[in-house]
Amino acid sequence: MSFDLAVVVAALPAILAGLQVTLGIWLAALALGIGLGFAVAALRHFGPGPLGLALRLAVEVLRGTPFLIQIFLLYFGGPFVGIRLDPVPAGLLGLSVYAAAYFSEIFRAGFVAVPRGHVEAAQCVGLSRAQIVRRILVPEMTMLVLPQCVNMAVILVKETAILSIIAVPEATAVISALGSQQYAFVESLFLLALIYWLLVEACGWAGRALERRLSKFRFA
Amino acid sequence: MTLPAPAIAIRRLCKSYGQTEVLHGIDLEIARGATTCLIGPSGSGKSTLLRCIAFLEEATSGTILVNGQPLGFEEQADGRRRRLPQARIREVRSGIGMVFQQFNLWPHMTALGNVTEALVTVQGLSRREAGERGMAQLRRVGLEARARHYPSELSGGQQQRVAIARALALEPKILLFDEPTASLDPELTGEVLNVMRDLGDEGMTMVVVTHEIGFAATVGQRIVFLDHGRVLLNGPPAELFAPPRHPRLTQFLETYLDRGAAMLLKPA
Amino acid sequence: MTARLFELMLKAAGYTVVISVASIGIGLLVGILVCAAKLSPRPWLRWPAGVFVSFFRGVPLLVQLLLIYNLLPAVGIVVPSVVAALVGLSLCTAAYQAENLRGGFASVPRGLLEAADMAGLSPWQQFRRIRAPIALRLTVPALVNEAILILKASSLVSVVGVIELTRTAQNLAASTYEPLLFYSVAGGLYLAINWIVAGGGALAERGLRRGRLA
Repeated sequence: MSFDLAVVVAALPAILAGLQVTLGIWLAALALGIGLGFAVAALRHFGPGPLGLALRLAVEVLRGTPFLIQIFLLYFGGPFVGIRLDPVPAGLLGLSVYAAAYFSEIFRAGFVAVPRGHVEAAQCVGLSRAQIVRRILVPEMTMLVLPQCVNMAVILVKETAILSIIAVPEATAVISALGSQQYAFVESLFLLALIYWLLVEACGWAGRALERRLSKFRFA
Repeated sequence: MTLPAPAIAIRRLCKSYGQTEVLHGIDLEIARGATTCLIGPSGSGKSTLLRCIAFLEEATSGTILVNGQPLGFEEQADGRRRRLPQARIREVRSGIGMVFQQFNLWPHMTALGNVTEALVTVQGLSRREAGERGMAQLRRVGLEARARHYPSELSGGQQQRVAIARALALEPKILLFDEPTASLDPELTGEVLNVMRDLGDEGMTMVVVTHEIGFAATVGQRIVFLDHGRVLLNGPPAELFAPPRHPRLTQFLETYLDRGAAMLLKPA
Repeated sequence: MTARLFELMLKAAGYTVVISVASIGIGLLVGILVCAAKLSPRPWLRWPAGVFVSFFRGVPLLVQLLLIYNLLPAVGIVVPSVVAALVGLSLCTAAYQAENLRGGFASVPRGLLEAADMAGLSPWQQFRRIRAPIALRLTVPALVNEAILILKASSLVSVVGVIELTRTAQNLAASTYEPLLFYSVAGGLYLAINWIVAGGGALAERGLRRGRLA
């Protein structure tokens, strides 16, 4: 077993293209997941009861089942109910909805964790409901949930690898295909592991740097 | 007639954390069978001093003799300190009990379990014997009925009384208290102070770091006032609190005014 | 879906549970060792443990499984795919459980150990009687959480050819052209198992509640 660098160099354009797909889907799902997750958390926190219950059920189901099953349902089951998607949009949609479920739980816990006294103090000085949400709850919550959000971002990078199973041309699909064509499976998988590991470490590092920068806003 | 040897003798004790020195050469003797109260502003070093006596902190220099035995370090002929073997340290420390501000009861054990833990694991007593002795100590602090409760099921005052029973179970010669009522609600401090008062009446040697000036003045036979890591005043409460008072002490009493202190400050 | 096919799915779900439980158990044992190494004052123990944790938490489980599945034969170890799957799942969860344990040990208040010190307990007695029991209690919620994560993650071993719940659903979906039905049933079964695990965890936590940090 020897690592043939020439194989990697020759396939570099393909590898970079795969990486680009991984990064693109990751960042898009992250943004969509955060936006959708925040909306769900806000609706569950402030919205009418029955809606909250329905959303809770949906979140429970999404968090209680494997992502692989969800993506199979969407990609293979979708056409039977008129949802016919190519691998990339299917992967992006599936990953975003999956992420939204987890983000909504993070935000919901964040809303609850903001001390009641801070809200009461805002009520006393006459802030409106909307102002309290915008000026007090959201900024305080952001500080509280930042570490979990970074954690979730890391989980999402790793979940993108699963999309290779429905033939999304991302890094895992491209590099393992390369490996089997060249009979260099172990080498290419090590390369792949290294790429993810660097991505995850970089993400964790960036998250910690952001936390440090925001730490001065942290309440005692 | 020779004076009885002090329970604790402290010589030139210094303690630094990195660059900052918090105790600057403490010289102090703690009398046997008496209650000594350490008072002083926060940051004066009183808790650090107490933790040095408990050997939870290692002093940077100086010596502490407990019942005549060196604690932790021994001064050699050339003036250098030598760390004593672990067995000696343990032996000397076994004569000291400690009660913490945060109680520090072990949450996974019942009240009785907390009191008997060291009797079983350190002294090797049988469970039955340890249980009997533990119950006796709980009775002493009035908590026999709570023996099977876990710390999470007890009030703060009850937790602290269990902590006192835990310290008493090992039959220490000296009991150290680090602000034992500081994390209690005001209405719960009384029960703890009463237990301590009874112990004092029984002749236990106690060193109490406290902000309860009223308790210090009435139960303490000796008051040690620390300021900026030095012993500023040391004497019986009647002497210390009576006018003319040291200006630093007056300043301190005015800042830490509680009911007891207010009483003391009122001109007679 | 006929009763026979449903029975097949149930059996596969049982297999998924067996794989998950075995992985969690092996992972806990390995995790304890890794945690001990990480807390060790010796750099030659701490450093590899750190790399182990960082690697298995930083690389997607799918890639880990593919690596182990292909690496073992490449170095001359021929094992059934289920063994490769177990190795992958166990090592992955071991890394997470080691971190959970480390967090538990770090959360034991220092004062409780000082109290033990004052009571004369030796360092080993302090560890065995005070530190470890409290730390383990603190990690129970994280352990339950990890069990649920591993149960879901075990669906990935279908990729290396283990015929568990997901793979069975895949096979049946392909042969009957009813992916909606079989993937939904599989999802429902995963959900049901997770609820049972979560319920059991809640019961265990309630049982330990009296001894929680006061």
